[in-house]
Amino acid sequence: MNLRKYLTLTRAGIIESLQFRLSFLVMVIGNILYLIVVYFLWKAIYDSAETDIVNGMTFTDTLIYIVLASALFSFMEMYIVWEIGRSIQSGKIVLDLLKPMDYRRYLFWSYSGTFVSQFFLTFMPTFIAVSIATGGAIPLGMNLLYFAVSVVMSVSINYSIDFFTGTICLYTESIWGINIMKQVIVLLLSGATIPLAFFPEPLKTIMYYLPFQSIYNAPLSLLLDGNPEPQKVLITLGTQLLWCIVMLVISRVFWKISLRQITVNGG
Amino acid sequence: MKTTMKRKGLIFYLRIYGKILAQDLKSKMSYRADFIISTIGMIFTNIAGFVSFWILFRNFSSINGWGYYEMLFLYGFSLVSLTPVQCFFDNNWSLRQYVYSGDFIKYCFRPINLFFYFQSEVFDIKGLGQLAFGIGTIAYSWANMDLPFDALMLLKLIVFMLTASLIMISLQNAAAATCFWIQNSFYVLDLVFRFKDYAKYPVTIFSPVFRFIFTFVFPIAFIAYYPSLVILRPDEVPILSWLSPVIGVIFFFISYKIWMYGATKYSGTGS
Amino acid sequence: MPEIIEIKNITKEFKVLNRREGLKGSLKDLFSRDYKIVRAVDNVSLSIGQGEIVGYLGPNGAGKSTTIKMMTGVLEPTSGEILVDGNIPYRNRTKNAQNIGVVFGQRSQLWWALPLVESFKILKDIYRIPDENYNGMIELYRSLVDIDPLLHKPVRQMSLGQRTLSDILAAFLHDPKIVFLDEPTIGLDVSMKAKIRTLIHALNKEKKTTVILTTHDMGDVDALCHRIIIIDKGKMLYDNDIEHLKGFFGSYRTLKIRVGEDPEKQAEKIRAELPEFSVSADDEWISVLVDEEKAKVIDVLGQLQKTHNIRDMQLEEISTEEVIKKIYEEGVQ
Repeated sequence: MNLRKYLTLTRAGIIESLQFRLSFLVMVIGNILYLIVVYFLWKAIYDSAETDIVNGMTFTDTLIYIVLASALFSFMEMYIVWEIGRSIQSGKIVLDLLKPMDYRRYLFWSYSGTFVSQFFLTFMPTFIAVSIATGGAIPLGMNLLYFAVSVVMSVSINYSIDFFTGTICLYTESIWGINIMKQVIVLLLSGATIPLAFFPEPLKTIMYYLPFQSIYNAPLSLLLDGNPEPQKVLITLGTQLLWCIVMLVISRVFWKISLRQITVNGG
Repeated sequence: MKTTMKRKGLIFYLRIYGKILAQDLKSKMSYRADFIISTIGMIFTNIAGFVSFWILFRNFSSINGWGYYEMLFLYGFSLVSLTPVQCFFDNNWSLRQYVYSGDFIKYCFRPINLFFYFQSEVFDIKGLGQLAFGIGTIAYSWANMDLPFDALMLLKLIVFMLTASLIMISLQNAAAATCFWIQNSFYVLDLVFRFKDYAKYPVTIFSPVFRFIFTFVFPIAFIAYYPSLVILRPDEVPILSWLSPVIGVIFFFISYKIWMYGATKYSGTGS
Repeated sequence: MPEIIEIKNITKEFKVLNRREGLKGSLKDLFSRDYKIVRAVDNVSLSIGQGEIVGYLGPNGAGKSTTIKMMTGVLEPTSGEILVDGNIPYRNRTKNAQNIGVVFGQRSQLWWALPLVESFKILKDIYRIPDENYNGMIELYRSLVDIDPLLHKPVRQMSLGQRTLSDILAAFLHDPKIVFLDEPTIGLDVSMKAKIRTLIHALNKEKKTTVILTTHDMGDVDALCHRIIIIDKGKMLYDNDIEHLKGFFGSYRTLKIRVGEDPEKQAEKIRAELPEFSVSADDEWISVLVDEEKAKVIDVLGQLQKTHNIRDMQLEEISTEEVIKKIYEEGVQ
């Protein structure tokens, strides 16, 4: 694999995302406002509870979890479904398919620049802000390394799910409907809106068997645990890796089959 | 603009809107699959919202002195008041693309109000599912709180819901209009859209500074909290609740002016 | 002829951002910015009479669209005066809009999902066209083009040609005094182009509508316009009829020769042999634009005959296309 042609796309993406100075400012302000809202909301919730620890999570744990989940979301959301759907409707997809690059890879690397700039402009500041605001409640040790490895796999799983959903757009014009369903399912079942620990028992078990919890819950629980047992780390990362491979294969195969069908039928 | 508005009155605009709407619905029916999938998507969104709500209250019995049913009422109230913006002003989401591609100019050549003409183009039928879900939630919580129900209450409910809608419409108009100045205004709209989710919590959870901000600067507290106090806590209604219809109209007017100002300043990027 | 459009010394300036190059440049742009003023239209004056068809020409980025946007009331000029049917367009956009129709070749203004006839009915309400006029107009359309198959077809299902045709019909529907056509024939096939030209011509004759036509297709100009206005880099270069313009180039004639295989390559050679004349080639013919003040056509032909095997030849007066091309390249002396 010639990495250079992919890195060119990354570079272009970074340049493009830096063009919009005002929207960058808006993004920062938006994130700060969001942090404030989340802080007050969960503080009020915990203040109303009788105990300090709910489902094994303190207020600080929950706050870090929720805030970083949302930072991860803004960093991982690539609007892939919209991108694919629009390209299909406008016919631009034909041009993209002619590029001397696998479409799945092309799309990913086109967005990778946004990854880089989002990481430094959104995720890092949020991470540092939360770390300071909670008085260093985020443990800084080996868990950071596990977290980093875990996030890379999260990105991969998330991308596979997005690409799979985008492929559905070859069959229907309803991009909005398809996208919103995906988003709702992923956000709820991955523990991005409410930590998985808060879910009632049978639901929690089911969710551990689904790929979604590997996107948000896995990296965040690794990060929050300052002193993890090696076994837990292995199981979490192993599960993620498994889902990485499974979702990659599924999304690739589905794309291949769909594309063949479309080219045969001349859709 | 003023003179034309006088010359072409409300009836004129209602008739045109009615005509476009009727035709639009007719043509939407021919996209049955899209309609069904979008509706399912909307139902999903509402169910997921409700599930998160339910999970939260399984772990915590109240928030800041607000009980389960009261919070549920706020939730339903916010759903209903978000319906008009979803149904009638959804084209705001496309404004950015029209401006970016230069296609916005096509709206500038008709002898009718620009804002009206632009918004009239899209009626988003999906919002109706949300409306039904919201009404159901309100009815359910209402029944469980033993609130009295009479004509006056209903009138209050409707008036204050319209007020709340106006606020949300204003926020979205203003956010969408930023694309006349900022190239990539998607983030602004997305921000407003994300924040509406927090409209369903009582503003009292915030510290005084942010209570002020969310009341006067970024008025999400008017989307559910202030208006529903009139129904939920009739003994302790603050003056702001009673003022909210006026505030709603003022905010709408301001957002309309911002939108129109942006549109007239707009010079059409595509040559 | 009463004047319908009166423009006096208008100028329009834009503020444009100077972007820096590369990754470093983008980072710099984040913190400091550098603007420059661009004059898109520079001191242009013109007046157009009721019922005229005027070709408004110029290379890409010359300022044509900007002028049209000012005449339609979308843009306010930086300085100067415009009157369109007695109105100042940008002061009273909606009132002005009642008097004009606009067509953009690539951007349909019709309701995408609706059948054409429904779009017409909505326009009828918007422009408050009386029943009588509306029906009269539909009858007129019916006599000019075969509209019945179009009327019940949703716009999104139409071909580009049908869509353009529909857009033109919609622009004339309220019997406006002026219609602006921006590249109405762009991307269309030869027969559709002819159809649209005939339609515009007929509507202009029938309704005495003033037509301002922007185009890059000289076929449109030849078929429709007597008068042309040429603008480049914001400045007016020319405003008069085409015949007069050709007079400037009276000494020019086009020599067309056929030399067999690969005319493009042969033309390349001829270009080297005759550096003082402009040479172009299509699939069959090689055209040499000869300035007879410099050399006689017959001498050029003789010279070419020595080095090339000429199978066939034609002699033509200069075409509009070539005149315009020369003006874009060299200006008017």
